[in-house]
Amino acid sequence: MRNSIAVRIALMFAAAALLGFALLGAALHRVLASELERHQREQISARLDDLSYMLQHGRAVNLGERIRDKLDTLSADDRRTRSWLWSEDPAFQYGEDLQEVRAAVAAGRDSVQINVGTPPQPIWMRVRGGSLPASAQHPAVTYMAGVDAEPFGHTLRTFETAVALLTLAGTVLSAALGYWIARIGLGPVERLSAEAQRIGPDNRALRLQLPTLPKELAHLGASFNDALDRLDGAYRQLATFSDDVAHELRTPLANLIGQTQVALGRERNAGELREVLQSNLEELERLRAIVADMLFLARAEQGVRARGLVASSIAQEVGKTVEFLDMLLDEAGMSVQVEGDAVAPIETSLFRRALTNLLQNAIQHSRPGAHVLVRIGSGDRSAEVSFSNPSAPIAPEQLPRLFDRFYRVDTSRRNSGENHGLGLSIVKAVAVMHNGSVFARSVDGMTTVGFSVALDG
Amino acid sequence: MKVLIVEDERKTADYLFQGLTEQGCAVDLAFDGIDGQHLALHYDFDVIVLDVMLPGLDGFSVLKSLRSVKNTPVIMLTARDGVADRVRGLQDGADDYLVKPFSFLELLARLQALTRRGRAQETTLLRVGDLRVDLLSRKAIRQEQRIDLTAQEFALLAVLARRQGEILSKTVIAELVWDMNFDSNTNVVEVAIKRLRAKIDAPFDHNLLHTIRGMGYVLEKRSGPETE
Repeated sequence: MRNSIAVRIALMFAAAALLGFALLGAALHRVLASELERHQREQISARLDDLSYMLQHGRAVNLGERIRDKLDTLSADDRRTRSWLWSEDPAFQYGEDLQEVRAAVAAGRDSVQINVGTPPQPIWMRVRGGSLPASAQHPAVTYMAGVDAEPFGHTLRTFETAVALLTLAGTVLSAALGYWIARIGLGPVERLSAEAQRIGPDNRALRLQLPTLPKELAHLGASFNDALDRLDGAYRQLATFSDDVAHELRTPLANLIGQTQVALGRERNAGELREVLQSNLEELERLRAIVADMLFLARAEQGVRARGLVASSIAQEVGKTVEFLDMLLDEAGMSVQVEGDAVAPIETSLFRRALTNLLQNAIQHSRPGAHVLVRIGSGDRSAEVSFSNPSAPIAPEQLPRLFDRFYRVDTSRRNSGENHGLGLSIVKAVAVMHNGSVFARSVDGMTTVGFSVALDG
Repeated sequence: MKVLIVEDERKTADYLFQGLTEQGCAVDLAFDGIDGQHLALHYDFDVIVLDVMLPGLDGFSVLKSLRSVKNTPVIMLTARDGVADRVRGLQDGADDYLVKPFSFLELLARLQALTRRGRAQETTLLRVGDLRVDLLSRKAIRQEQRIDLTAQEFALLAVLARRQGEILSKTVIAELVWDMNFDSNTNVVEVAIKRLRAKIDAPFDHNLLHTIRGMGYVLEKRSGPETE
């Protein structure tokens, strides 16, 4: 799994803190180091000034001896600051490891390692020197002073340790703080996730509570809810659909099983058995027709398109359909009037099937003697044909559902007659196969149902 | 008519065998692609009914090897309704295609259409018992009585008379009379038959136009008593 957002934010906080503390520490270290160095230089300078003063202003009698005594006293007080004198005159020679120090100062080095104490221990000294020419009081002399570098180095190391520890603590603290802040900041996301968790097949109506969401998440929540709505619609349609299929198939199956069982229950003569077989065959034909239509619809849904398109006059096709259903129209005392025409590329048998279903639908839902008006028109991109017939008004919310499989406006007519409720869904499938669409209107007691086909095939 | 049926589903093969035999066909059966291919290549049939999904060798392969040698008409059967299958079958040289579930009558009609292809022009004067149908002058006469029929009624009668003795399903009738080649759920054919019957049968002492429940209609002279 990828790092959680909170962990990532904590790590970023830690990195930022580390960088900040490190830069600050480095800067302070630099300042401290240069301050310490200046301090060392000042100490050395002060001692050099003292030496120079003593050499120039002391009384000449036993000057060398008196200066050595003075230096011994000074050294006893402050062992960290040391002095050296060198001259041809042994009276003006002073200090341990004098030769090394002298050589270092003569070479211009500013530090030298000498051995001091008992047993001798090597320490680094920072040294500088000056010289005076011979005068009445003293011969030519080189005077030198040095400071033990160790305490300064110690201070610096202590400071470094402190900075490192503080940096570490600050980094850890920042990470913890960052994690805490992130968790608080991400609280709404966790609530969102918990809410989403609760949505399942059993409570599909549940939605995320948008008003409680912060601005950044509201959009995500809305998109999520929209997706849920769409899924829910598809789910519901599928569920009703399976329901309907099961229902449609159940009745003929029940008839088949029941009739056959009754027939086989006792001895029957050939005539009776033939009767049963014929009845069975009728039911089986019904099943076959439903399955064939379902397969047809499934094909259309899988994106199968009309093939072998032929540019045809729609009015002519309507004419053929009217001729086909002529006897039904005649029985119902109905008449058909066709207005307009358009030429469109169509797969003839599919198109006729759609027209037949539409006209049949108009016949079924009109009173005897009614008049069916067929309108044909075309636009830039599509041609459409619609059938209008007088009928009981259909509620607006029911209109789009007319094309759903097994949908019937009047639910009591579920199992009536030969029409198994796929007629208009087949019209829709045919329209889709021709890159067209379907429409339905119900105005002033006239119901209009039609479909369009694309002109560019 | 010699028919070869290549079908691995036993029940289907059995009823096809029985049904076609009773229709007067000489039927051979093969239950897998290998046997089917062997029979198809080494014997002559008038038509072959070939299932697509077969053990051993599928229907497309059988068709291919058959087409490389001869042109026996082939009807493919399949449970798959994919257009790809259909196109492939027809490209490979199948003459027709039936999707399961299909009705036996439809298969019969297709078989007859395939074997009828290229046959000499039929006669223009048809007789069914005491009914005469003149296709040229578009007249129907029964027992010397001229029967007045509408154009559609005559077209229906002509279709039935041309195939007298053959059971025609509603779908086949709709296709032959109105050129509507799809399963329509209308009762147009029933209404048309009812009207035709009122004119050619009702005024006379015995019926020529019979309903076979659940299957369709047949026009024939029956010697026995009516069982309508």
